[in-house]
Amino acid sequence: MLQAHSLLWYYLWVGPSVLLLVLSFLMWRRGLHVTYPFFLAFALTSAVEQLTLCIADLIPSVTAEAWWKIFWVGLLIEALVKFALIGEIFAHVFNTYASLANLGKILIRGVGTALVIAAAFAAAYAPKDSPYGLINGAHVLQQTVFLIETGLLVFIFLFATYFHIKPSRPVFGIALGLAISACVHLGTWAILANASLPASKRILFDFVNMATYHVCVLIWYYYLLVPPRGPKPPDQSAGPPAQLVDLEVWNQELERLLHR
Amino acid sequence: MTLAIILIIAAVVSLAFILGIAASRSLQISHRDGRSGQIEPIDVEAFRNLTDPAEDDYLRTRLPASEFRTVRRERLHAMAAYVRTAGRNAAVLARIGQNAMTTGDERAAEAARQLVDDAVLLRKNAAFALFRIWIALAWPNSSFAAAPVLRGYERLSGRAMLLGRLQNPATPVRISATW
Repeated sequence: MLQAHSLLWYYLWVGPSVLLLVLSFLMWRRGLHVTYPFFLAFALTSAVEQLTLCIADLIPSVTAEAWWKIFWVGLLIEALVKFALIGEIFAHVFNTYASLANLGKILIRGVGTALVIAAAFAAAYAPKDSPYGLINGAHVLQQTVFLIETGLLVFIFLFATYFHIKPSRPVFGIALGLAISACVHLGTWAILANASLPASKRILFDFVNMATYHVCVLIWYYYLLVPPRGPKPPDQSAGPPAQLVDLEVWNQELERLLHR
Repeated sequence: MTLAIILIIAAVVSLAFILGIAASRSLQISHRDGRSGQIEPIDVEAFRNLTDPAEDDYLRTRLPASEFRTVRRERLHAMAAYVRTAGRNAAVLARIGQNAMTTGDERAAEAARQLVDDAVLLRKNAAFALFRIWIALAWPNSSFAAAPVLRGYERLSGRAMLLGRLQNPATPVRISATW
C-alpha cells in the first residue's frame, strides 16, 4: 500500500489539490478572497502545480527531464507566492497595532536576511543526492524555501506570543497549516538529502510529506470555513464577567496605591 | 551530516513550539470565561523615585564611589523587578483587551483596541528598559532613564479604566480622575 503509484499515493497527491480548489471556490463565494488574496493565490497555485505534475506523470510522452522542468517552474512560482503569503500573515497580525508594526518590520527584515544567509550556507554544503543536476537543484531549492519559510513563520509566532497578540482565527489557521507543512517538509528533506536512503525508504518520507500536507489542507478548511464557537451567554446571577472582575481588581489596587 | 542534524533538530523544535502554541490557544478559547490572569499591583511612586535621575545625583554626591555603585546596583535590581511586573501586567491587560475587542459595542471595542496597543507598547518598552538595566548593572555610573516605562504604565492604567467604564458603567471608577 505504501508504494509509489499506489491508490493511496495518488489520493494523497491529487486529493489535497482538489480540496484546495474547492476551498478557493468557497472562499470566493464567502468574499474571503478580499481579505486573504495571497492565501487564495497560494491555494490555486499549489493545486494547479500538483495537478499539472500528476497529469504530466501519467502522460507517457512527458519525459523525466520535462517533468522536472515543470517541477522547477512550479516550485519557483509557489515559493514567490508563499513569501507574499507570509507577508500577508505578518500584516494581518501586527499592522493593527501601530506601536508594534515598525519594530516588527525591522525585525522581520533582519530575521529574513539572516535566514537567507543561513539557507545559502545550507545549500552550499548540501550533499548531492542524485546524479542529475536538475533533481539536485530542485531538492536544494526546496530545502532553501522550507528553511526560510519555517524561520519566518516561527519568528511571527514567537513575536506574537511574546506580546500576547492573538491573531484572528483564519489568520492563525493559515499560519498554523503553513508552518506545520514547512517544518515537516524541512525535516524530511534534510533526512532525504543526507541519509542516502534506498528508494523504498524514500517513498515513506514522500508519504509523510503528502499526508502532512493533506492534514494542513484540512486545518485550513477548519479555520477558514467552520465558524468559531460563540461565547457562552453571560450568567446575570453570577456577577460581572471575569474581564470586568479583573478590571475592578485593577482599579481597587490602583486606588489603594494612590491613597497609601 | 552535521548540517542535516541541525536542520532536523530545528524542524522538530519549531514544530513542537508551533503545536504548543496551537494547543495553548485552544485551551485559552475553552477557558475564555475564566480569569485572564492576575494583575500585580505596582507602587508607582516608589518606581518613580527609583527612576529619578536627581535621586541618583544626590546619592552620587553623598556616598563614596564604591558604596554608590553597590547602592546603585541594588536600586537597579529593584527597578528591574518593577519593570518585569509592569511587563507582566501589560501582558494580562493585552489578553483582557483582545477578549473585549470582539464585543458588539463599538466604543468598547475601540477602547479595547487602544488598550491592547498601549499594552504591547509598554511590553516593548519594558523589554528595552530591562536591556538597559542590564547594561547599567555592568556600568553603575552610567545614567539611566526608565521614564517611557513609567509614562506607558500610567497611560495603560487609564486605558484599562476607560474600557472598564465602557463595559460596565455601573462600576464606579473614581481613580480615572486622579491620573
